Amino acid sequence: MADALPALDRSWRSPAVIRLAGLGVTALYAVFIVWVYAAQPRSLREMRGGVAASIGAYRIDAAAFDEGLRYFRTDRFAEARRAFARADPAQRDPRTQYYVAYAFLREGWGRVYADDALYRQAQIALQRALAASPDGVVRVDDPDLALKSSDEMAETLARGLRRDVSDLNPLAMLEKRP
Amino acid sequence: MTADPRGDAGTVWHEAFTLPLVLLSAALLGGLRIDAAGGLAFVPPTLFSLVLAVMLIAVLHRCGALDPARLVHPRRTGLANASGVVIVVALGAAAAQMIAALTPEEGLLALVFDVAWLVLIGNTLAARPDRSRLLSSLLVMFGSAFVVKFILLGALYAPDASLTKRVVMALVEGVSLGALAYQPPGPATGYVIFAAGLLFLAGIAALPHGRHPGGAVDAPRVVDGVLLEDGGRPAPAALDPAPPSRGA
Repeated sequence: MADALPALDRSWRSPAVIRLAGLGVTALYAVFIVWVYAAQPRSLREMRGGVAASIGAYRIDAAAFDEGLRYFRTDRFAEARRAFARADPAQRDPRTQYYVAYAFLREGWGRVYADDALYRQAQIALQRALAASPDGVVRVDDPDLALKSSDEMAETLARGLRRDVSDLNPLAMLEKRP
Repeated sequence: MTADPRGDAGTVWHEAFTLPLVLLSAALLGGLRIDAAGGLAFVPPTLFSLVLAVMLIAVLHRCGALDPARLVHPRRTGLANASGVVIVVALGAAAAQMIAALTPEEGLLALVFDVAWLVLIGNTLAARPDRSRLLSSLLVMFGSAFVVKFILLGALYAPDASLTKRVVMALVEGVSLGALAYQPPGPATGYVIFAAGLLFLAGIAALPHGRHPGGAVDAPRVVDGVLLEDGGRPAPAALDPAPPSRGA
């Protein structure tokens, strides 16, 4: 046992082992750099979340998410978005980002017209949700929501931003809120 | 695999960890831009900065600041050669990112800076100074580019009237910036690029240089009866008188 320890110490100091370790560390660092340039995180918080998500360690704050959901169901959309932002600081959770997009959509929806600025923000949030989703689509099984998939929401948003003759149809005022 | 002729632990650590990590850090930080609101953006190098980076590596090689045979050589082991390739790639990435970081992103000023880089690096390539002069020259080149972009232009185009802006405007009284468009980077970007520049220059200074022990050796030259080294200087043995022999 006493002879084995110096031998182990010598093997760790051998040039081949040092070079192998160096190549491994350098490769990991290079992968991180390439990921940073590809993912373009806009804050350190997003960067941390992205790294955690890439190794499967990212978790949203469930309490903040539930709080956001309560605000969302009582039509307090600005408060809901703040709570969702707290729940998903790295913007890497598809479900939370879907609710953020939905909060923009419901706030921007009107019987007579749709608020284009809020609809565009909804589109941006929906893109984040899709980017974070592994299969490129988000489905949320919530009975409170009329639009249960990202495809339905994307089409509703595109229709709301479109300018055509159907905007003059008075029956559109009878449509249900999404 | 053959044995590594320079297998001492310090050199191996230097090649395996220090140089790649220092140069990759310079490459990472060189592309980082921080706007006034604290938002991050990572900007890849432009094509022209990649070309300039290759020229810079050629300059380092020609001036003796980088000896490729100390990084990749048939007498080195496969792992040692892999380390060497990683260092060269990291050096290229860091050089491209540093040049891009010290050049305005767009507009006429970007063209002016690019032409200046091309002339300066091309001139250095042609002049072929020795290693110490090259390092001084690079320090001046990168330092000047930093001062012009982040201090002078940053102050001139800053939205608020800082003391630097007032001083520069007083010095160039009567000169109008006209339609010379420039978007100054956020103040924090300057600090990041300064740190990246120091890392890059430290990395260049720490590159393996000098003749590789296994490499080709130039034949010594004798001029006027004096033995000259490769650089044309008299060899120490030619200057010092021979020690007297015991038998004399």
